[in-house]
Amino acid sequence: MIKGRVKVVNRLGLHARAAALVVKRAAEFESSITLIREDKSVYADAKSILSVLSLAASNGMELVIQVEGADEESAFASMTKLFDEGFGEL
Amino acid sequence: MKKIGGVVVSHGQFANELVSAAEQVVGEIPHVAAVSIGWHDNVDVAKGEIERAIKSVSSGNGVLLLTDMFGGTPTNISAMFIKEGEVEVVTGVNLPMVIKLASQNKEMALLEMAELVERQGKESIYKAADLLDPHKSKA
Repeated sequence: MIKGRVKVVNRLGLHARAAALVVKRAAEFESSITLIREDKSVYADAKSILSVLSLAASNGMELVIQVEGADEESAFASMTKLFDEGFGEL
Repeated sequence: MKKIGGVVVSHGQFANELVSAAEQVVGEIPHVAAVSIGWHDNVDVAKGEIERAIKSVSSGNGVLLLTDMFGGTPTNISAMFIKEGEVEVVTGVNLPMVIKLASQNKEMALLEMAELVERQGKESIYKAADLLDPHKSKA
């Protein structure tokens, strides 16, 4: 299992369009991918858009990302890149 | 995989717009249709429209009708179609419920899906400040 942190850097936060991109990207991998908002103890399955939206992650917020499975390394790298790029909104 | 079909039924154009908003979020959803019923529409005409919509989205695994408000005409007409294993109705439709129905990734029974969508709808309602501003939250 790989665990790390990602930061929401785009202005609008993890809104519907961004969440849709997260889900689309997560679905490319076999590994289970969990996003965790620690202050509210909200756990989200990165492959479910409603789950990702329930994080209500706004600009500047840090989330824990936990990836587990056969392709965890490439999944982790790909997901963190998506967050770093601000979901293409920077 | 045989998906459960969905028909959103509402007063006015709400149903069309709700399905179109869901499509913006999750992409095309050919297994979900919309029926908008006007204030002055004839009940038999509306019933016929719902019946056609049910047929158009059915893949043999049941169809879930999502209506705008319990007690309203769209719900009352939809309720005429309820049949175990074939048609179920869940009222008070909101966007998360349509998205839930849109993103099916495993085959399940109609009743199970109806309960899942009902729960999703209820759990998707928040007083937003409680989540968005931790300083004001009492939780």
